[in-house]
Amino acid sequence: MFQISPQLGSQLVDLCAALLLLTCFAIVAQRRLSACVDLFALQSVFLAATAALVAFLTGIHHIYVAAALTVVIKAVVLPRILKKVIERLNVSRELQMNINVPAGLLVCGTLVILAFYITQPIIPLGFLLTRDSLAIALAIILIGFFTMIARKKAVTQVVGFLVMENGLFLGATAAAYGMPLIVELGVFFDVLVAGLIIGIYTHRIQDAFDSVDTSKLTVLKE
Amino acid sequence: MAPVSAAVMVFLGAPLLAGFLSLAIRKARLLHGVNLATMTALVVADMALTGRVVAQGPFTTFGDFVYVDALSAFILFIIAAIGLTCSLYTWSYLDDYVARGVVAPHRLSRFFFLFHLFLFAMIAATMANSLGVLWVAIEGTTLATTFLIAFFRQREGLEAGWKYLILCSVGIALALFGTVLTYYSSVRVLGDVSTALNVTKLQEVADRLDPHVLKLAFIFLLVGYGTKVGLAPMHTWVPEAYSEAPAPVTAMLAGVLETVAVYAVLRSKTIVDQALPAEFAGNLLLLFGLASFGLAALFILIQRDYKRLLAYSSIEHMGLAMAGFGVGGPVGSFGGLFHLLNHALAKSLAFFAAGNIHRRFETREIEAVRGLSRTQPLTAVAFLVAGFALVGMPPFSTFISEVFVVSALATEAFASNTLQLGQFVTVTISDDVRSLGVVSVFLIFAVVLFSGFVQRLTAMVWGAPPEGVRCGEGWDVGHVPLIVTALLLVALGVALPEGLKALLDQATSVLLAR
Repeated sequence: MFQISPQLGSQLVDLCAALLLLTCFAIVAQRRLSACVDLFALQSVFLAATAALVAFLTGIHHIYVAAALTVVIKAVVLPRILKKVIERLNVSRELQMNINVPAGLLVCGTLVILAFYITQPIIPLGFLLTRDSLAIALAIILIGFFTMIARKKAVTQVVGFLVMENGLFLGATAAAYGMPLIVELGVFFDVLVAGLIIGIYTHRIQDAFDSVDTSKLTVLKE
Repeated sequence: MAPVSAAVMVFLGAPLLAGFLSLAIRKARLLHGVNLATMTALVVADMALTGRVVAQGPFTTFGDFVYVDALSAFILFIIAAIGLTCSLYTWSYLDDYVARGVVAPHRLSRFFFLFHLFLFAMIAATMANSLGVLWVAIEGTTLATTFLIAFFRQREGLEAGWKYLILCSVGIALALFGTVLTYYSSVRVLGDVSTALNVTKLQEVADRLDPHVLKLAFIFLLVGYGTKVGLAPMHTWVPEAYSEAPAPVTAMLAGVLETVAVYAVLRSKTIVDQALPAEFAGNLLLLFGLASFGLAALFILIQRDYKRLLAYSSIEHMGLAMAGFGVGGPVGSFGGLFHLLNHALAKSLAFFAAGNIHRRFETREIEAVRGLSRTQPLTAVAFLVAGFALVGMPPFSTFISEVFVVSALATEAFASNTLQLGQFVTVTISDDVRSLGVVSVFLIFAVVLFSGFVQRLTAMVWGAPPEGVRCGEGWDVGHVPLIVTALLLVALGVALPEGLKALLDQATSVLLAR
């Protein structure tokens, strides 16, 4: 077996985490729905690569399981469900957003700075290999959150939610080399079921409202 | 097998079994029978479990996966008790809708399937030893209930279900980050072991966990689970989900699910409290609690829909209980816990009655409902009892628990009276001013709430019923839970049974342990 020096390993992990963050920005800048889903799938592949890298460098085997599940569920199954939803609904572009793309990118930049600021006091406590990724993980969570607020279409809101999940997973890997296996399996199960439920919902919302624009969901008001 | 393991087995196994059985059953009668049998089994198992916990203290079983102490036993008691009354109400409620042709008979099995999964998720959350499993189960409750909320499949129902799913999933995602951070701090002490998130382990090493990480973790946990509790400002899904869901589902959401979410917050607090100064978690709870209380009081004044009115009342009561836990001490914690039980009883009763009213009047407008005392006398009495219990009138038990919380607010001195808001703002106030301020603000909102609530309530009960609404109320099985719950509310206000008191005392000491 070949060896990787700890420094190189740490840099590789940082590189992967940075790629994850980059795809976040790409999602915020992208208007085409199917491209958003593709970018999410790409991000999940990067996430799986990060996890596999950490598993290889630390020799903790249960992270491989999580990496494999990430590929299967987040890079293949969920994007497929979302693509089907997009096809069936016949919507391809997000024309109106609550916040336009340049302003959105600026907000995301600020969120990244905020994430680094919040995590600064607790980063030195982490494992040397992955500790810098914790700040990136929080940044991804915040950007996912922002995407849900900024976009109107149900599909992109779901992508925002899944991006948040990716950030959480990266955070768990970075902070503690992954959660206990039982918890990780439970989380994957929840995400998968949530994906299925959302698929059913978009179908029903389309039937009832003739649109998947969630800004039309305004029957209930004070 | 030891009797307690058997009881735990019943708790986890019965709802799961009943859920999958329901999918296979087509006859409505049998479905209701299975539901009722499950709930009865839960109550029996709960008695065994509670007896054991009160007599011999907390225990773990099933390879450390299950941990039950007095706090979780108390929450399980609420789940089982409300579950039983709810199953009786569901019987008459759903039969009625099937008879009217609103709900197709074949959809009943799906209703019960989801309903039992929902129950299972709540029980799993309460019994889980690992904070991670607790999170998975709480997210499970969201997934199981979203289609129950949208069960009637109108546009409004779909909208409410969708908003509930998205808001709660996002909120809960923040709680997952809090869980990750907790794990981050405990792995450093315990090493990378799969038990590092277990409550039993965390309690052992809590004083060695890093305070900075835990502070951040608790904020995320509180905001995350607080969304599920319906604390302001994360409460926006509450009125919509509660007004659109079928009445038995709303009763379970308002009475039981909120309680389980509060349990998740309290469980996190017991661990954080051992590593941090007491006022950190307490002050945050107090702040969110009072904000929810005040906001709900104001929104109650502008409600025209009686189900939304009750939903805002839920936000208010959860705020009250949170304020009780926030000031802490024996009085505040005891009052908070007792209030959870009383609120669960009063709110389920209120939604049962509201469900009856909605079926008769076919509207949720307060303006359009008049003369309940003539159209449905029994329901009118139940609605009045629930309403007066909800504003904290004697002789109902909510009065007792509210007095506990308010007196705790007025008297409990803090270890320190500094409120740290972020890194830059620090507010220091003297004890007297602080409790005087908190209590007077609290009482002002309580008065606002009282007048707003009682005025709407009495308007609905008396007066002449609108034309075209049938008068008179026949007897059916759905009236049993109305009577039982109303009697319980009065009985608990007069005297607390010995067993329940012992359980409450021990649960309080779990919260006070440090």
